[in-house]
Formats: sequence, C-alpha cells, structure tokens
Amino acid sequence: MLTSFIKRGAVAAVALAGLTTAAFAQMELKIMAPAAPGGGWDGTARSMQQALTAAGIAKSVQVTNVTGAGGTIGLAQLIGAKGDGHQLMVNGFVMVGAILLNKSPVNLTQATPIARLTAEALVVVVPTDSPIKSAKDLAERVKADPAKVTWAGGSAGGADHILAALFTEAAGGDAKKINYIPFSGGGEALAAMLGGRVTAGISGYGEFEGQIKAGKLRVVGVSASKRLANAPDAPTLKEGGVNVELLNWRSVVAPPGLSDAQKTELSGAIDKLAKSKEWAEILKARGWDDAYLGSAEFDSFLKAETVRVEKVMKDVGLVK
Amino acid sequence: METLLSLANGFSVALEPSKLLFCLIGVFLGTAVGVLPGIGPALTVALLLPVTFKLDPAGSLIMFAGIYYGGMYGGSTTAILLNAPGESASLATALEGSKMAKAGRGGPALATAAIGSFVAGLIATIGLAFLAPWLVEIAVKFGPWDYFALMIVAFVTVSATFGDSPLRGLTSLFLGMLLGLVGIDKLTGQARLTFGVPELLNGVEVTTLAVGLFAVGEALYVASKRWREPEEIIPIKGSLWMTKQDWKRSWAPWLRGTAFGFPIGALPAGGAEVPTFLSYSTEKKLCKYPEEFGKGAIEGVAGPEAANNASAAGTLVPLLTLGLPTSATAAIMLAGFQQYGLNPGPLLFAEKPDLVWGLIASLFVANVLLVILNLPLIGLWVRLLAIPQPWLYAGILVFATMGTLAVNPSPVELGMLFGFGYLGYLMRRYDYPVAPMVVGLILGPMAEAQLRRALQISLGDPMILLENPISATLLGIAFIALVAPFVMNGLNKFKAAED
Amino acid sequence: MSRSFDRPALVVAILLLAAAAIVAFDASRQTITSNYGVGPTAMPYVVCAGLTVLGLAHFIVAFKDGLPKPEEADGKALLWIIGGLVGLVACIALGGGFIIATAIVFACTARGFGRDALIVDIVIGAVLGTIIYVVFLKLLTLSLPAGPLEALLS
Repeated sequence: MLTSFIKRGAVAAVALAGLTTAAFAQMELKIMAPAAPGGGWDGTARSMQQALTAAGIAKSVQVTNVTGAGGTIGLAQLIGAKGDGHQLMVNGFVMVGAILLNKSPVNLTQATPIARLTAEALVVVVPTDSPIKSAKDLAERVKADPAKVTWAGGSAGGADHILAALFTEAAGGDAKKINYIPFSGGGEALAAMLGGRVTAGISGYGEFEGQIKAGKLRVVGVSASKRLANAPDAPTLKEGGVNVELLNWRSVVAPPGLSDAQKTELSGAIDKLAKSKEWAEILKARGWDDAYLGSAEFDSFLKAETVRVEKVMKDVGLVK
Repeated sequence: METLLSLANGFSVALEPSKLLFCLIGVFLGTAVGVLPGIGPALTVALLLPVTFKLDPAGSLIMFAGIYYGGMYGGSTTAILLNAPGESASLATALEGSKMAKAGRGGPALATAAIGSFVAGLIATIGLAFLAPWLVEIAVKFGPWDYFALMIVAFVTVSATFGDSPLRGLTSLFLGMLLGLVGIDKLTGQARLTFGVPELLNGVEVTTLAVGLFAVGEALYVASKRWREPEEIIPIKGSLWMTKQDWKRSWAPWLRGTAFGFPIGALPAGGAEVPTFLSYSTEKKLCKYPEEFGKGAIEGVAGPEAANNASAAGTLVPLLTLGLPTSATAAIMLAGFQQYGLNPGPLLFAEKPDLVWGLIASLFVANVLLVILNLPLIGLWVRLLAIPQPWLYAGILVFATMGTLAVNPSPVELGMLFGFGYLGYLMRRYDYPVAPMVVGLILGPMAEAQLRRALQISLGDPMILLENPISATLLGIAFIALVAPFVMNGLNKFKAAED
Repeated sequence: MSRSFDRPALVVAILLLAAAAIVAFDASRQTITSNYGVGPTAMPYVVCAGLTVLGLAHFIVAFKDGLPKPEEADGKALLWIIGGLVGLVACIALGGGFIIATAIVFACTARGFGRDALIVDIVIGAVLGTIIYVVFLKLLTLSLPAGPLEALLS
C-alpha cells in the first residue's frame, strides 16, 4: 500500500518534471556540419546530437552534412535559411580563414552567433635533438632569417599557419618571408618532424602528446594564456617571451534574421547543453576542452578573431 | 622471442568469445559497407565511433580493426562484379577483374582477390608484429623528395595501362592531371581552375571520377551498341572456384603485391594507390600471357588486391608505433584510441601491451574470419550477374549514384559524375584508355605537393632530389624503366640487322 | 578527296589545345606565389605544355590515320539513359528526394536496355530506393536527400 503510494507519487513527480522541460523537449533541431561525415566538425555535430537528445533538451536532432570549401558552402546555405529558428551550424576558427582565402561571398558575421563550445591550444614543437631549446631560441632564429626556419603544420590559412605567422611577427621577423609547409593530415606533418625534415612543427596539443611524452619532441611553447592542466611542464609561448595567444575553437551559429524569442530559445538550449553532464562526458571522452561562451560574449569574441585573422592573412600574403 | 610471447598473450585476448564476436561484427559491417561505392571503411568507422562509447576499449578497437580489413575486402567485390571501384585503392583490381567477371570468371577473380587479401593480410600482419619498430625508423626518414621520386616511379609504370596507343594513353593521363589541378592549392590555399564555382574548391573526388568513367561510362557504352553486338554476360563459365592453373598464376603476384603494399603502406605518405599501380604494371611485365592483360588476366587481380590489403596493414605500423595516422581510417581509429584516453605511440606498447597485442592478434583473427565469410559468398555474388541485363545495369547506375548522394548530394557533384560518365563513354568509343585518367588525378596532386615541399625545404635548390640516396635511387629506377624499352628495341633491331 | 582528315581526331586536337589555353590563362591570373621553391603555377604550366604537345600530335593524327572508327551508336538507348540521369539530377536539385530519383534512373536505364515495362520498373526502382534509404538512415545514420516520399517514412 505504502509502496504503491510512493510509486504513484514518483510517477507524478516525474510527470511534473517532464512538464517543465516540455517546452524544450518538443524542440526539433537540425544541425549542419559543413564538412564531410567523419571530420572534426561532423564529430562535434554528432556529439551535440547525442547529448541534446540524451539530456532531453531536444526531442529530435538531425545532422546534415554540406561538404566543401572549408565550410563556406555550408555557411552560404545557412545564410540562405533566413529566419529558421531550428537550424544550427557547427563551425570554428578555420572557417574564419577559409572565408577570406576562398573569397567567399558570405561572411560569418552575417550568421547569428549562438555559442562557443570547445577550444584546443596549439603547441609549437621541435625534434628533441634540435639545438632550439626554448621559444626564445626559436624567436631569435626567426628574426635572423625567416627562410631558414621551416614550419610544418596543417592546411594553408588554418590555425597552425596563423600561429606560425603570429609567432614570426611577435619575434620581430618578417611574416611575409615565413617558410611554412602545409601537410595534409597531422600524421604527415608529425613524420616530417620526427624525421628532422623541418625546424619546427605546429599542431593541436593532443596530436603531438604521445611523441612529447615519449621524449621525441620538445615543447617550445603552448599557445594558451596559461599552462595546460594535462601538461604542466610545457611552458606557454608568453613565458618564453613571445607574446602570442591562439585557440583553435569550435562553435555553433544559427541563420540570420531570427526573432529575439527564437534567439533566446536556441541559445537557451545550447546553454543547457553546455552545462549538461552528458556533454561533460563527451568532452572528457573526446579529449575536448570546454570553452563555453554564451551568445553575447561569443559575438564580440568572433568579431575580434575575424579582425585578427584578416590582418595576419594580409601580412603573410595569403590574401591581397 | 619476447614478441612471440606478447603475441601469444594477444591471442588469449582476441580469442575470448566476446572479442571474437566484436571482430565478427566488425568484418561483417566492414564488408557490407565496403561494398557500397563511395562509403569506405573510414566513414563506417566514423559513424560507428559514437556507438562504441560504452564498449570496453579492447572490444571496440578490435571491432574497428575488423571493419578496416572488411572494408578492404568489400571494395574489391564491386570493382570486380560491377566495374565500380568504390575507393581509389581498388581501381587496379577493376581493370582486369571486371573483364574476368564478364567472361564468366567472376568466381576465380573474387576468389583470388579474397585469398590474395588473406595471404597479404597475414604476411603484412606478421610484418606489423615483428618488424614495426624497425620499419618505422626507415619510414620517417622519407622526406618529400623521396616521395616525389616514388611518385615518378609510379608515373613511369602507369604506361602499363595505356593499351595500344601511347598517344591516347598519355592524353588520358594528362586529362587526369588537369582535373587534379582543380580546387584549392594545398600549399598556398588559393583556388585553381574553379571559375568561381564554390563546389569545385574541394577538387575532383577520385571516386566520382572513377565511378563515372568506369561504371556509368561502361553502362552507356554497352547500351549504345546493344543492337549491333549484344553484350553477353556469362555469370559462370568453367569452374566457380580457382583452377590449378589459376593457383599457379596467382601465388607469385600475391607475394609480390604484398612486398609492394606493406612497406609503401607503412610510409607516412605512401598511401594504398601507389603500390596497387606498381603491382599491376609489374605483373603485366612478368606475366607469361601478356596478351591476356586488358582482357581479364588473373595476375592483374591477384597482385593489386594483395598490395591493397598489405598496405592497409602497413598503415597500422606508423599508427601503433608512433601514433601517426596516415590514412583517413587510421585517423579515425586514432580518435577511437583517444576516446579511451589512450595515445598510440612508443609508450602504448609498454603501458597497455594487452590492448596492442590483442589488437594485432585480432587482425589475424579478422583475416581468417573474412576468408571464411567471403569464400562461400562468392557463389552468391556471381549470381548477381545472372540478373537480366536491363535490371543489372539499372541497378549499377542506382548503386553508382548512391555513394555520391550519401556523401555529397549536391547537383554539381552529381553533374560531374554523369559528365565523367559521358566522357567515359566517348573515350571507350574512340579507344582511349580510361584508367590513366584516374591515375593522373591521384598521382598528379601528390607528386606536385611533394615536389613543392621538397623545394621549399631546400629553398629552391633542385639538387636536393639527387643528393638524397633514396630519391636518387628511385629516380634512377624511373629513368631506367623509361628508357629500357627503347634501348631493348634498338638492340633487337640492331641484332635483327646483323642476322 | 573531299574528306582528307579525320574529324573526331581534329575535334580532340582542338579541345586539348583549348584546355591548354584555359589552364595557362588561369595560371597567369594567379596572384599569390610561394615564398620559396616553385609556386602554384608551375604544375599548371607543365600540364599546359603536355596538353599542347598532345593536341598537336592529334592534329597530325587527324591528317594521317585518324582515330579508330567507332561503330554506329544506338542513339535511342543513349537518350533514355542520359535522360534518366538528367532526371535524377533535376529531381535531387528540386527536392524530389532519393526514392523518386532512384525510380527515375532505374526505369529509364532499364528502358534504354530494351525493357518495355516502364511502370513495373518505376515500382521496382522505388522499392529499391526505399530499401536503400531506410538502410542508410537507420543503420548508417546517413540521411540521403529527402523529398515528399521520404517525409512519409519518418
């Protein structure tokens, strides 16, 4: 008798709790990954899908892929979906450069910023047997002759390239003369580092972590404002006297022309997502760092990043 | 000895019933999805990654290994039966395999592919277990100049796919290189030959070109001469299984294909395509029945298919020993490792020997399971060819478009697929070989990027290509391969004149 | 001798030279160069040179042996299949969805290969398309282009 009463009470409580979240749980979202299935943005979109439904924030989430041109084709489609309050798109730092590089007719500032989700610090490394010991050593070489310092990293105009340029400028070298060699995929760049083919390499910390811990690569500096929690021994670039900071972030944006109510609903849902334990579990499993910024802060952050990237790309001569 | 012990330990992990089950699921999914053109093992693993969050690390990695090997098997099936190479690595297989299938020898073609993959997988996995640390030392020594030289060797040997006219073969090759220019330049990030069409910025997909030229082009060509000389597809002629003669002609190509595939696959930028091309042209040179090449020579299936699978195992060498992902699938497997907080590399062997050796042992198991799974299926697959011709080709076209629609359903991409299909039809009509075009698209951009990287490192000095022993040797081989036929020809003429 | 040259070979020659010209033009308009080594225009010029040589060689061929003479093609069969493929692109572009697109291409191809049962083939194509669509959606979580029919399924 008593147990059945408790049961009934529990059912009622659950139903009540269900009612309060009902407004959200009815939401049907579409998340576009502006890249082919399997890539980083796709992974973010599918993880969001998983967490949003598991946490009961949205009733259904559909992930679509729009491939091509550093995500700018997807962006163009998003800009075209004016006023659609159920559409989101994953994007990131790389897209800022791709827009400039591809002379994209649409711009990220046209979209409605919703939130920044994750960020990863980059790391500058040299082979262990290199005479370069610190950021200061590398800076001196870059200043003396930028041509003789070969950098290995990811695609042209990407985060790695921008960091190499920022480093060169901060060191007092001529960014126009930078000798940056883009490799396809982290593996090839890493092989070039291990084989001693290049002076220094840049990538996300995670990609080089194994080699750093195995003592094959030496950290010259990480691009974060303070030392990383999982690598307390690695100094920041700033500590080495090179005043550069750069994070490779990922975020979500929505189409332009949303009403205030739509905006609040979307950013509310993503805010819930970012604070859910389901999302925290995914971040941990995937090794992503939480870098949540709500829509207002993300908006001004995005504007600042756009200005910065544009200047660097002009300095390096990637954009005329 | 120590390695053997570790391996035995690994088998004790891999042969646990639950791990066997994961492996079986993996090879089954891999084969099933690998059969679909355009959806390779990389995509399958990526899609399955979230599903495995809750599995234990060993189990899910073993499943991935199964998918990886299974995908490689599946690719050859469509290449042989439908002439639709779903991934660039099974291009060479399609050349002879599809001819064999049409002549009623699909059974032996699939069998030699399956057993060749098994043999190659077995030897390469042994190589992975015993030679990995040593091989990887050499592999990372390869600089951009060495890769460039390797590409040149591959370029020179491509002439094996030219058919009877070097002019038409070269035209096809250069058109492929032309297509390779389209899109964003890898080294400066600026657009070439895109004419303001954003969809072209990513360049021409190899699978789009291959499926268009091969499958769509073939369908159009067969339809165009249906009344004049109706094509007869014979599902089975002679033995469904390999004859004694087939075995005799297959075993050496299997071994040679493995010898190409494993080391080149282990190179960080080696890839799976180059060894298949090298194997194809080598087999053509060495074959006792060179006149059969182009009409369905079993060596042309046995060699490349072995090379393809051996390179898949080769890719795991840098992945496991250094944590270097050198193919799309390997990159996703790396993500799979990382979701359990594991970082492949020198430390992993020391820290988690059970896991690493369990994975290597399960590669052996996956190989055995694949052969058991695939050989009985051959009879079933071959019967596909008994479908009435209108439905068969209608099905092939549905199949060919499916991959493109799933990965990139843009009208521009579909338009390219069918444009290439029509081009393939015209090329067949005027007797231009289509394979060199795909080869040009694959090798052209790779060679260009490596050469430019080499010259960037040397600050523009081309001597860097000859100063390094590996690149100098490879360029020497390429040179000899290029001039030898002319010299031999001249000598023969000289001799003939003397007689 | 009214026709002393081979027309197809001449067409190929002209197309190759035109392609070479386009490549050279595109390369000449590149503004960004590499700081070291060779820039993004080197390879285009190599390809351009190759295409020019091949184009000229085709010219010579056109006035000598010509290309192999093809047999006459069955234009009706080709038209059906190409029509089916164009129909598929149009169907996807206009949002008709995967199933209808599959039905179109299946039925038209079968017709091109001489079957005379368009309705039956459309049904077969649609069933095939539905199966593929469901398998992709449920097992691979990949959504193929959706239209009105796909909306009914979910």
